[in-house]
Amino acid sequence: MPSAPLNRVLYVEDDEDIQRIVRLSLERIGKMTVQVVSDPLQAIEAIKQFGPELVMLDWMMPGMDGPTLFRKMRELPETRDCPVVFITARAQQRETAELAALGAAGVISKPFSPKDLPDQLRSIWSALP
Amino acid sequence: MSAIPTTPSDAVPQAPGALHDASDARRVLADQVELLYRQAPIGIGGALLVASLVVYELYAPHSRELVIFWACIALLVAASRFMLVRAYSRDAAREPDPKRWLRWFSIGALAEGVSWGFAAAVFFPSISDEQRVFLAFVLATMTAGGLPLFSAVWWVFALFAFGVIVPFEAVLFTYGTRLFSELALMIPILLAINVAVAYRLNQVFVSGFRLRQSYGRLTQDYTTLNLQLEQHLAELEEARRQVEASGRKLALFAERSPIPIFEFDWNGVVLTANPAAENLFGYSAAEMIGKKGTDFLFPVEVHADVLAKWSGFMRSSKPVVAFRYHNVRRDGAELVCEWSITPLVSPANRVLSVIVQGRDITQQLEAERMKQEFTSTLSHELRTPLTSILGSLQLINSGAFGELEKDVAELAQVAERNGQRLLDLINDVLDIERIESGKLTLFPEPRALHTLLQEAVNLNQAFAERFNVRLVLSADLPNVRVNVDVKRILQVMTNLISNAAKFSPAGEAVTIEMHDLGGEVRVAVNDRGTGIPENFRNRIFARFAQADSTDTRQKGGTGLGLAICKRLIETMGGRIGFADRQGGGTMFFFELPKHRAD
Repeated sequence: MPSAPLNRVLYVEDDEDIQRIVRLSLERIGKMTVQVVSDPLQAIEAIKQFGPELVMLDWMMPGMDGPTLFRKMRELPETRDCPVVFITARAQQRETAELAALGAAGVISKPFSPKDLPDQLRSIWSALP
Repeated sequence: MSAIPTTPSDAVPQAPGALHDASDARRVLADQVELLYRQAPIGIGGALLVASLVVYELYAPHSRELVIFWACIALLVAASRFMLVRAYSRDAAREPDPKRWLRWFSIGALAEGVSWGFAAAVFFPSISDEQRVFLAFVLATMTAGGLPLFSAVWWVFALFAFGVIVPFEAVLFTYGTRLFSELALMIPILLAINVAVAYRLNQVFVSGFRLRQSYGRLTQDYTTLNLQLEQHLAELEEARRQVEASGRKLALFAERSPIPIFEFDWNGVVLTANPAAENLFGYSAAEMIGKKGTDFLFPVEVHADVLAKWSGFMRSSKPVVAFRYHNVRRDGAELVCEWSITPLVSPANRVLSVIVQGRDITQQLEAERMKQEFTSTLSHELRTPLTSILGSLQLINSGAFGELEKDVAELAQVAERNGQRLLDLINDVLDIERIESGKLTLFPEPRALHTLLQEAVNLNQAFAERFNVRLVLSADLPNVRVNVDVKRILQVMTNLISNAAKFSPAGEAVTIEMHDLGGEVRVAVNDRGTGIPENFRNRIFARFAQADSTDTRQKGGTGLGLAICKRLIETMGGRIGFADRQGGGTMFFFELPKHRAD
């Protein structure tokens, strides 16, 4: 279990409205530090610069989808160990199982409850080895 | 069919060679006896006439008693024989036993003969020579007269003749004159000739009867054969008419069918094609007939595959239903057809021809694809804006941005609640669509049922509290495990519990129970609501079913919940139902097979 509580989160999402809701939820309710990236192609660079404790990925994005980005992260030493939580509308069991097989720390289905989102992330965080 | 040929149509006609045997001896004898009896009245009448003459001629004072006595005997014999004839003719209609009647007749004939022999014996010694000549003549007449009357059965004549002759002979021999003795010697010769003639006559009669019978049988056989022939011809005509009618019907079916129908031979060469086939593939029937189906109906790349399938099918000669192939039209356009193949097999199991129907399912497949696309679009495109709407409203209502003015807060809550309902509806519609298109994948795992129920109660506690309803769980079967998709079973439980809570009066309890049914386990959710209205009971598990359309506004819900529950439970191998409760309210239940660890 990680020693410190979850604080720094980076979120890759192309939909600006959802970006705003997640940011407000995590900042106002969860009291976390949040960095949002709209373009998945710039995500790796942003992760390297921001150094998040946890990364949240959308599944369907223009340019590059979440799982592809996730695989890319696994290939780079700087991003390899960063836990990843998917937030997706495609949270059928089949996809959940697929993501777990890839090594995702958790899956949160859309629509999510912004009131509960910080708690959900924290419980995933505290369950990490 | 009857064992005894009673009617002409049942009779088995005999081969011509067998016809001479057709006259059976019994029938011939019956005919002989009948002839004897038919002629008897002539004999009786004749005998009476001759007897009267004899009485008249021989009546004299010294022989009065003797003549009267003999006359009585002659009358008695005549009367007896007459009665016998009467009895026979009454019995004749009922196929009399010919032997019995012959026996009686022969006794009568003998009596007749003896009565005349007796006349000779008693009168001969005491009469004049002229009278003796008269009497001898009478006896000869009687014997000769008996010949046509009795010789239908020769030995009857013989009996009669012996009856006449033997007493007369005895008298002639014992009388002592040479003339009479010579006469006595001649009489047996006469008798023998007469009997021989009778025997010949008898033969002639018998063969005549045989011929008559055979002819009768022949005529009957001929009539029977004729009748049978007529019947067969009529049946043949009827069969031909039916075949023609069904042929016309079939041709009409094929011609009017909207589905392309081909008839192929064993090698896959087109024999016939209907107008629908012409329309679909763009060739006229005349162009297609004689060509191999693979050469023009299928794109080149599948030829080998189709040929292999066809020869495999010809080997098995079993009907094949609905296999799909890409096909090509004359103008080059590709389409997808679903082919059904039906071999016409002869009784000797030889493939005569093959009826092949090809249904164009190109548009149907396109429609299915569009429906799927629409569903997944609905899933994503509707949920994405809803995520933003609901997320924003939830954040506003969470109080993280400070207290709102009371009216604004209420309106924001209305917006959130209805947004949530819209989301539920979308989810339910997608669920139903997935289940009904067979695309729902379940992930069953063995789980202890009581912990699932506990989880369901925990999930719905807050909802029940909104209606001021308590949830009481008595899950007292900790060892019962079920093989279920956890998420889906919780969905079913949430549906049943939230329904029960919504329709319970405030302050009441909703009880959740487990019942062991042996191989299955039942989960019951009991409420104290007003019960299910009578007119709603048979459609409660149907889609968009709600007892009262105002319920949607008052209680929320999409009307899809129970329809989804039913399909989910049935997919998991169980059943779902409801029943009225004692003391009011309803029990909703589902039953699942227990999981047994192997």
